Amino acid sequence: MGFSTLQATHITKQYGFGPTEVTAIQDLSIKVDPGEVVLIMGPSGSGKTTLLSMLGGLLKPSTGEIRLNGDVISVLAENRLPDIRLRKFGFIFQDFNLLSALSALENVALVAELSGLNRNIARKKAESLLINMGLEARLTFLPEKLSGGEKQRVAIARALVNDPAIILADEPTANLDSKVGHEIMHLLRAMAKEQNRSVIIVSHDQRIKDIADRVLWLEDGEFKEMVTMVLDPVCGMMIDREKSVNLDWMGKTYYFCASGCRDEFIQNQEKDIH
Amino acid sequence: MIMLSVHNLFQNKIRLSISIGGVALALSLILSLNAIFAGVEEKITAYINNSGADIFIAQSGVENMHMASSSLPAIVEDEVKTISGVEFVTAINYVPNMVVVGDERNLAYIIGLPPDSKLGGPWKIFKGASQPKAGEAIIDRYVAEKSGVGIGDEVEIFGRQFVVAGLSEETASLVNSFAFISRSDFSTVRGGANTINFLLVKARPEENPERLAETIEAQLGNVTARTTAAFSMLEKKVVKDMSTDVINLMNLIGFLIGLAVMALTVYTATLSRRSEYGVLKALGARNSYLYTTVIAQALISVVIGVAVGTIFTWLVSKIILGLGLNLTMNITAISLAKVGSLALLIGCFSAVLPIRQISKLDPATVFRGR
Repeated sequence: MGFSTLQATHITKQYGFGPTEVTAIQDLSIKVDPGEVVLIMGPSGSGKTTLLSMLGGLLKPSTGEIRLNGDVISVLAENRLPDIRLRKFGFIFQDFNLLSALSALENVALVAELSGLNRNIARKKAESLLINMGLEARLTFLPEKLSGGEKQRVAIARALVNDPAIILADEPTANLDSKVGHEIMHLLRAMAKEQNRSVIIVSHDQRIKDIADRVLWLEDGEFKEMVTMVLDPVCGMMIDREKSVNLDWMGKTYYFCASGCRDEFIQNQEKDIH
Repeated sequence: MIMLSVHNLFQNKIRLSISIGGVALALSLILSLNAIFAGVEEKITAYINNSGADIFIAQSGVENMHMASSSLPAIVEDEVKTISGVEFVTAINYVPNMVVVGDERNLAYIIGLPPDSKLGGPWKIFKGASQPKAGEAIIDRYVAEKSGVGIGDEVEIFGRQFVVAGLSEETASLVNSFAFISRSDFSTVRGGANTINFLLVKARPEENPERLAETIEAQLGNVTARTTAAFSMLEKKVVKDMSTDVINLMNLIGFLIGLAVMALTVYTATLSRRSEYGVLKALGARNSYLYTTVIAQALISVVIGVAVGTIFTWLVSKIILGLGLNLTMNITAISLAKVGSLALLIGCFSAVLPIRQISKLDPATVFRGR
């Protein structure tokens, strides 16, 4: 694995044309260094998935460019992208996305074989990774026989098998209980810090902030400074403080996404007092 | 990719069974039909091939027995005997008619044999005489069993009663059989004592039958002389010419059924794994890899389908044989090659639609299970 820097400059992604045109990502720039864990958060429909897809070479930006170690990958022909995805990126998905007909070992080995490794070497490499993930006793199990945490560990082993420089994780803890989610978070951090890989995580999970070097808030296709983001105490949404409805209560200022949340907050507080 | 194809294929065993069963039945339909016609060909040429003759002589222009009529003056027999290289000659009469027992009417080729004929008689006797005397008939064993007659019973041929003197084997097919009577009886009931239908010639051991046939034609003129092998082939050709359209139609139907079954199962199998193919694309698998996986899946299915279909057809042929039906199914190498080629086409065509599906698959849909 070579250390790689991923950089997106002024990228925009638009879907549709004319009256149906939608801008998913608007003039966005980001640079991720080796060994860095970047967490991208934001409300549903903010463009997180579109951004992740573009960074991983699955989608091309409408304008702007994406560079990997200085090489522009956003203009590469479609037939050159599979190789980039296979060797430079490791993908981790919310739903694990393991192939249901293959065992844990085969799921990981298949991706190594795709990169041109001989079958036996691919299987040995996959086996070693899975053992490191604590799955020695699960090598021959089909995905349906694995727990959520085990499936995600197989998916992580699959993401690592071709030794990629960049890991892209989409809601990696969403379908896991809190203990397993915690384990997976620390596994992702270890991948960045011990192996000097760049890890980009898209998630709603607030706990992942603990392992991130940088947290970015994406809303309406643009990054917003996290320092200006505040939590609505009623609905739990992260909201832009400047655009929020605020309330001074008992000497403290509270921020709400809408007046409905503010009113509910007041009712609850008054109920508690009485 | 073969590993992925095999795993994908065998994971859903019900779908696999339907797919293989459908293809096997469709191919079995083709194979059975071809086998039946090959069996008919074998049966229809059985008399010629087992006659013991090296050369068949017929009226000029007549090159087979089935659906043909040949008439030669009896004197030709003596003329042939004088030709150098001829060891001996048997003149036979031949006409399609019926072997009737009560209400049971069996289509039969009636052969009129001279006394102690060396050629053209029944080649395998189950019971009784091998040469019919005046007033006697040798009929096929299965015809006799079907009609409920045995040695010593009477059957009607040409409207006249004959006593069954012998029962022959391998002389019946699905639709007809051979029955043997004496030439004198044949002449009596059919008339034309000085007329024969075919001459069967045995060449001397040192003589080349092909050359002898040419010599006979050249010396006698106005006759057709063919070696037994050539005569048999021409007989088969008549059957082929009559059945080719039927066989082709049935082959087409079998092919279309097999294709429909296979295309549907490969298509639904691919569709059900659409998201997995999307994952593979996202991870970096090339389209060519995914196409090959789908084609391999289809081809593995049809290969198993061919094997199952062949075994099934072979079993059916053995069961038919065991039941004693006058139906011979002959599974030939040509039929197997034809079915194999059709199966290959089915496999390739059935993968076309799924491949189109995969080619349109956007790898970006892999996120969030979209």
